[in-house]
Amino acid sequence: MASRPTVQVRGGEGSSSLPLPAVFTAPIRLDVVQQVHKSIAKNRRQAYSVNVKAGHQTSAESWGTGRAVARIPRVGGGGTHRSGQAAFGNMCRGGRMFAPTKTWRRWHIKVNQNQRRFAVVSALAASALPGLVLARGHRIEEIEEVPLVIPSTAEGFKKTKEAVELLKSLNAYTDVVKVSNSRKLRAGRGKMRNRRHRQRRGPLIVYNEDNGIVHAFRNLPGVEIANVRRLNLLQLAPGGHLGRFIIWTESAFALLDEVFGTQDKVSLHKKDYYLPTAKISNPDVTRLINSSEIQAVVRPAGEKTQRRPWTQRKNPLVNRAILYRLNPYAKVIRKEETARQNKTGHVHTQLPAKTHEAGEAFINTLFAP
Amino acid sequence: MSTTVPSASFVEVPETLLKKRKQNEKVREERLAAQVEAKKQRKTKREVIYKRAEAYTKEYLDAEREDIRLKRDARKDGNYYVSAQPKVFFVIRIKGISKIAPKPRKIMQLLRLRQINNGVFVKVTKATEQMLRLIEPYITYGEPNLKTVRELIYKRGYGKVDKQRIPLTDNHTIEKALGKHDILCMEDLVHEIATTGPAFKQAANFLWPFKLSNPNGGWRTRKFKHYVLGGDFGNRETNINALVRQMN
Repeated sequence: MASRPTVQVRGGEGSSSLPLPAVFTAPIRLDVVQQVHKSIAKNRRQAYSVNVKAGHQTSAESWGTGRAVARIPRVGGGGTHRSGQAAFGNMCRGGRMFAPTKTWRRWHIKVNQNQRRFAVVSALAASALPGLVLARGHRIEEIEEVPLVIPSTAEGFKKTKEAVELLKSLNAYTDVVKVSNSRKLRAGRGKMRNRRHRQRRGPLIVYNEDNGIVHAFRNLPGVEIANVRRLNLLQLAPGGHLGRFIIWTESAFALLDEVFGTQDKVSLHKKDYYLPTAKISNPDVTRLINSSEIQAVVRPAGEKTQRRPWTQRKNPLVNRAILYRLNPYAKVIRKEETARQNKTGHVHTQLPAKTHEAGEAFINTLFAP
Repeated sequence: MSTTVPSASFVEVPETLLKKRKQNEKVREERLAAQVEAKKQRKTKREVIYKRAEAYTKEYLDAEREDIRLKRDARKDGNYYVSAQPKVFFVIRIKGISKIAPKPRKIMQLLRLRQINNGVFVKVTKATEQMLRLIEPYITYGEPNLKTVRELIYKRGYGKVDKQRIPLTDNHTIEKALGKHDILCMEDLVHEIATTGPAFKQAANFLWPFKLSNPNGGWRTRKFKHYVLGGDFGNRETNINALVRQMN
């Protein structure tokens, strides 16, 4: 990229612009993001399992054969309903479950650092494409530019009122409204497990220095706040879906080149880290295909849908048209043959089709009263 | 806020679209030119086929008359004329799939007689004669005449195209497969089979084994005796033609 495109700072008085940081031109790899997100999302889990002793707190023994009962272990003793009942099996009432869940299940998944960074970088690049942000469901139809940058004065907001005012002036408040309208009770047991409500995600505010911005924005439903040095993939691509609506403060936006570096410049905050290079430098495949260089050597395209050949076979010995198609001389042969036959009087005519009259018995049955 | 929708005249046509239009034009022109060319070619080919068919008819007639003439000549002098031995046999598998010994089974596989009432054209050589001798109890064969060859290929002719059994509905199929052996149409194919030409092997192999019906009028009372003994198997020389008439 010879000259970087610039991004205007919106929402403040005066118009300054910043060059687009290199992160936003990184390759967008949905597969990497999905895989990394899947693993990282598991890191918040808490262990669960059934009781170790569950189902084994009996001294049941099998009665063996010869007692006209199934050979499953049965509870010994007497004087209670429980005696003689089956125990221990996963199929038994009061028995141990199949494969009791253990606490030493692998709850947290380690992901390679470079993969994690790749995913974050991809998610950031995706947030610069209005198509992807819209597809994710953010209401950004009215905002002026993507990525959206606000002046650094916002980092000093102390009141939520100021925050709302700013968002409204940017036409970004509809996204917050969407969230508050979407707050519903969760379906299922999660209701009684401290996950009572569900709502959409709103914009993500990224700042450089917290002078009150976190307090100002944190009470707005759906709005999340993040420091530009510590960006979380779970916030940048919630659910593994690319295109979170991000609102940058000016200083955070300017810092991005330092935090992530460029293709040639190393990152200052991540040791020895360079931005990933794409596998294909010009991703506009349609343009490549339709370029004159490629079209000059390409063979003509096939038909859009294959046409089936005529699939009804016709017998040439019976069907004259097919016969003449296969053997144009056959016409001559036929003519000569008929001429010869006419001469010798040995005419081979088509026999007239036999038409039958209906029999008397049939007529009587047909018109029977 | 500039949210005015531009009118059609303001919107520029994307470059790829312009390129696509130009490309489509070029392709269309090429296609039309190719069509005109193909039509001309088809016409000339049709003439060639016509001429060949004419030549073949004359050839067959001449060959027949020649044979008769030689016979008559010989009889006149009190001599004997023995006509040439057949160059091609039509072999039909009589026996079903079960209870065949390994050697005859393999030979029938080699001759592509894998199913009952399958028929193939086989060139007559010392080698093939010996093969036929080994599988005699399971086949019937004989010398096909021109009508037999023609009717089989026209009515039940299928070609092996891309390992698939494709009906011979158009000379195009034949030309594509056998064009390099100068066989362009049905008549060429019939000629190659009936008078074993230089490309008989390719032509016969191109033809998928004929799937014949059971004979109209039935087999003889016991199929699995030699034809000579009142059954159906073995070499029945020219009587194969009558059988094929019934089975075709």
